Amino acid sequence: MLSYIARRIVQAIPALLGVSVVSFILLHIVPGNPVRLMLGQHYTAARAAALSNQLGLNKPLVVQYLIWLVHMCEGNLGFSYSYNLPVTTAILHALPNTLALVLIASLLAQFIAIILGTIQAYFENSPFDHIVTILNYFFYSMPSFWLAILMVIFFSIDLHWFPSGGVINPQDPNPGFFDWLHHLVLPAVTLTLITLAGWSRYMRSSVRDNLLLDYIRTARAKGLRESQVLFRHVLRASLIPQITLFGLSFPSLFAGALFLEQIFNYPGMGILYWNAISNLDYPIILGVTMFLGTLTIVGNLIADILYSIIDPRISLGSGDSM
Amino acid sequence: MAEPLLAIRDLKTYFISREAEVRAVDGIDIDVAQGQVVCIVGESGCGKSMTSLSIVRLVPRPHGKIVAGEVIFNGTDLLKLSESQMADIRGNEISMIFQEPMTALNPVMQIGRQISEVLVRHRGMTKKQALEKAVEMLRFVGVPRANEIVYEYPHQLSGGLRQRVMIAMAMVCNPKLLIADEPTTALDVTIQAQVLELMKKMREETGTSIILITHDLGVVADMADHVVVMYAGQVVESVDADTIFENPMHPYTRALMDSIPSIDEEKDVLYSIPGTVPSAAHFPKGCRFAERCPLAVESCFEEMPELRELAPGHLVRCDRV
Ligand SMILES: Nc1ncnc2c1ncn2[C@@H]1O[C@H](COP(=O)(O)OP(=O)(O)OP(=O)(O)O)[C@@H](O)[C@H]1O
Ligand SMILES: [Mg+2]
Repeated sequence: MLSYIARRIVQAIPALLGVSVVSFILLHIVPGNPVRLMLGQHYTAARAAALSNQLGLNKPLVVQYLIWLVHMCEGNLGFSYSYNLPVTTAILHALPNTLALVLIASLLAQFIAIILGTIQAYFENSPFDHIVTILNYFFYSMPSFWLAILMVIFFSIDLHWFPSGGVINPQDPNPGFFDWLHHLVLPAVTLTLITLAGWSRYMRSSVRDNLLLDYIRTARAKGLRESQVLFRHVLRASLIPQITLFGLSFPSLFAGALFLEQIFNYPGMGILYWNAISNLDYPIILGVTMFLGTLTIVGNLIADILYSIIDPRISLGSGDSM
Repeated sequence: MAEPLLAIRDLKTYFISREAEVRAVDGIDIDVAQGQVVCIVGESGCGKSMTSLSIVRLVPRPHGKIVAGEVIFNGTDLLKLSESQMADIRGNEISMIFQEPMTALNPVMQIGRQISEVLVRHRGMTKKQALEKAVEMLRFVGVPRANEIVYEYPHQLSGGLRQRVMIAMAMVCNPKLLIADEPTTALDVTIQAQVLELMKKMREETGTSIILITHDLGVVADMADHVVVMYAGQVVESVDADTIFENPMHPYTRALMDSIPSIDEEKDVLYSIPGTVPSAAHFPKGCRFAERCPLAVESCFEEMPELRELAPGHLVRCDRV
């Protein structure tokens, strides 16, 4: 197992290098000059040259890349142009908010998806199944920003149930946990709804497939009660792909959160990223991109490891198979 | 004969959907006495599996339905029981073994647990007691390293061992009736013989009655006390095992016997009878075998023959013999 993990991490290095090269090149192809943006109305040719020199932007691209790479290997992602902070500090500042959002939404989505999908599959073609299917397609095909805006209009502006953005109430001198939670509701519910739609489809089809298998007939032939057949036999097998899905979609959940943060003005990685893009804050953009790349690879690895733990048919230890 | 352990009376199991009504089992009568081995033989699709699944009321949902008949087991009609009363009987008084030991076991549950959960369910044992009993049962059916295998998963075992595990699972509560649906078809020949030997041993030691579904007339010769020949959802001949080989009466049974190449070469080549079985969705109104029957006359196509007792205990559905 450990050697497998080590091998996978080694295999991940070229992938991450590739990501960094491509983002680096793209970043410099995109028109716009961060120096011009930073100086704004104080722009003069002399000041620009000095700042470029200070930031190292006048060096050849390859040299810039290598410098950045060496620093990154030392754990130094550089210094943000716009926040006046080291990039790692900026990311560590924003990360907990996004992590909370993504974790809450994904756990909630997974939990509801398992219940909905199971009931749907068990009562296939019932009115419940049809209604949930329609709702699923509705939320699945709806662009996330559009759903977010509807949520704000409805629950925040019309009903005043939840704040439309931010994480704390600026007028509250001592904002506590519940205030934070209150602010988290709308973005978390939106992200849950979007994710839930796909996941409950997966769950439905996996329960449905399992219900038809021979060993379920065996379980019934043993005289097990229907609830035992369902929970002990059907669900055990159906949850395996679902848990893998969890690991695999963590990065895309993160990406989804980036959009929603912008709309809900929720100060996480998304806002950090958006602001960095509009300011052409190269170090932040690269830092966040590398973070997402790493997250994707780690998510895949975790999915594989979980899979091997839960499914006795898969073994990673000796695995030449993977 | 005393009251049989199982008496199936005019059982009809149909698949009913908007497009068609498939009469998979169409008025079957079968008796199984205490300790008897009854073999059901017949071409693929004639309704053998649906008959066996109907006995324990596990006909595939949502389309499969038992539409008429009685399944009288030990004096009670199983078709009248509530779902939970029926579940108390399954795996306890009536057990099943299926054809594919590969897929019939749960791939993600330990062998021991799969056996012990039957005991926990029907005997109210603790998990620990049940696991000990599972090990004992596995030893009894000849599984080596039983105390290790209980912690293994089905994919770690060979096909023959898996079928032994299935048998252990089916027999662990000492059922009165064991239904085995082609238990050896998926196994190779030497393993087949071992598994059949094991089933004989189980019957001798426990007095369990067995319904054995098979394609293989060699298996019938080896195991059966009584034979039921099915064709297109009906019983066409029913008689003791000696008579079926010595004096088969129904033209279909005779064709089956003729298709055995030689006495020693027991192989799966039974069904080389010309023609095909009529579709279960559109049975003709006359005899269902008439189209392929060498003895058929015009009246055979007009009227369905009754199952008649031509000699004591020898039932045949044919008006031409
Ligand atoms: N799920 C189903 N839906 C519709 N028809 C079915 C279904 N399952 C079986 N049947 C039909 O029921 C009839 C009897 O099937 P059954 O499985 O009992 O045959 P069998 O005698 O066991 O055949 P085999 O030797 O191939 O196992 C067949 O004509 C088949 O087409
Ligand atoms: Mg069958």
